[in-house]
Amino acid sequence: MLTLERVTKRFGGLTAVREVSLEVRAGDLLGIIGPNGAGKTTLFNVIAGYYRPDEGRVLFDGHDVTGRPAHAISRLGLTRTFQIVKPFGNLSVRDNVMIGAFTRLAGTREARAEAERVIGICGLGPHADARARALPLGLRKRLEVARALATHPKLLLLDEVMAGLNPTELGGMIDLVRRLHADGLTLIVIEHVMAAMMRLAQRIVMLHHGERIAEGTPREIASDRRVIDAYLGEEFVLADA
Amino acid sequence: MGALRVRAGAVVVFGLAALVPLATRDAFFLDSLILIVMWGALSAAWNVAGGYAGQVSLGHAAFFGVGAYSAALVGVRYGLSPWLGLLLGVALSIVAGGLIGYLSNRLKGPYFALSTIAFSQVLLIVVGRWRGFTAGSEGIPVPYHPGLWTLGLGKVAWVYLALALALVCYAVEVYLERSRRGYQLAGVREDEDAAEALGIATRRLKVWAVTLSAALTSVGGSLWAQYVGFVDPAYVFSIDLSVRFALNTIIGGMGTALGPWLGSILITSLETYLRATFAGMKTGFAGIYLIIYGVVLILVVRFVPEGLVGLAGRLRTRVAGASP
Repeated sequence: MLTLERVTKRFGGLTAVREVSLEVRAGDLLGIIGPNGAGKTTLFNVIAGYYRPDEGRVLFDGHDVTGRPAHAISRLGLTRTFQIVKPFGNLSVRDNVMIGAFTRLAGTREARAEAERVIGICGLGPHADARARALPLGLRKRLEVARALATHPKLLLLDEVMAGLNPTELGGMIDLVRRLHADGLTLIVIEHVMAAMMRLAQRIVMLHHGERIAEGTPREIASDRRVIDAYLGEEFVLADA
Repeated sequence: MGALRVRAGAVVVFGLAALVPLATRDAFFLDSLILIVMWGALSAAWNVAGGYAGQVSLGHAAFFGVGAYSAALVGVRYGLSPWLGLLLGVALSIVAGGLIGYLSNRLKGPYFALSTIAFSQVLLIVVGRWRGFTAGSEGIPVPYHPGLWTLGLGKVAWVYLALALALVCYAVEVYLERSRRGYQLAGVREDEDAAEALGIATRRLKVWAVTLSAALTSVGGSLWAQYVGFVDPAYVFSIDLSVRFALNTIIGGMGTALGPWLGSILITSLETYLRATFAGMKTGFAGIYLIIYGVVLILVVRFVPEGLVGLAGRLRTRVAGASP
């Protein structure tokens, strides 16, 4: 469904992403981990059309989308959430999600009905009339997911939707992502919350200094020497064992 | 519910305006009414870009002036109907609006506002210097030929023509509150990156909104020129005028359909009253209405930043809370 071929993105002298290749098949739930500054979000920005890669190609669903604008890629069925949430602050939760639904639907009534459905799935029902900017972070992260879901994506990129959540919110978010995946959605998930990642992902890719240094099942990744040295540390391995 | 209440407000405002000519034929009163409705419509046109799309322009006088001069010159130079001039003005404003809309993709916030001021000032200079065609800075009188085709109308007819323009602008605003395109535009205004992720071609949509706003403003300019009967560059391209469009809308409520007219009712009548009151006094008082104008703006921004429409909503909530 998604193929990255040796994608490179530089900012001046800094190479944020270096020759990263990836293959995501329909139904996958791929995790991306790595220390801060490893290039995870930059990679998302390249895939979703926010940055044009300096080298390499991005293929999605049979199209070469390299360098296409984000809105065109979104219409093809690839959308993303933002690590630093970007709600339409002055609009209600419902209106936020409706704008997502309008990606596929032309009528206001249909978009509203679809928004209600997605709001229900994401557990935002009691807050549908609240102004987005008045929501606490946990709910704004959910709104971020709801708005993206309303576009009916084939592939959804989640950028740290679990960061900063309390344990209850975290559990809810893990359930939500799991449910979406079970319903057939393909996902790529960036996450620092390793416990969540271990429970969710089928495969994990580790980025370090913009390069892909490891890939494997959660179990393989957790015992990979390079991953432990660069990111997890000995404590994680001991705690896991 | 809320939407219906606002529409009821529109019925009251436009309905009362339509009834006034039945009650009085007083020329001063009708003149004030026409100006209130017209400035309201022009502010609503500004609201399409400034309020709904979030592209705050301080150069909308450029489009107003293009419309005013198109209608006037087509009549004076070629003996054609001002309606044709109005259409020409719309065409020119679509081109100019597209250009300004394109600028809004490069420049944000204050930089965009500054570039629109510069644009209107360039037109002011060009029209002021191009004496052979535009009659330069002394301006041109618009000849009065009675009839609808020549727009030589009485005051009562002008009330209804101004109202027709107002209803068109209002309908555009309602469209922007209900339609897919309107919702998407709200998304663009709130956060462009997020809007892109939802499949919205943000740049194209902004250009569209600014262009639509420019075209409506041009229509208002054409009609104003024919109503007043005189066009000069220092007025029609002035920053004062651009600020007036913005001010009415900010005071009435940005991104609300009825707000521009509420702002216009307050500001236009205040201005008319103050001018009339202080006109006979010493020349030192000549500009005092501007000071009072400024004070009103400060008070509104300080105490009701969401505008008169927001104030009405707040009062309604309080009344509802007091009497269960």
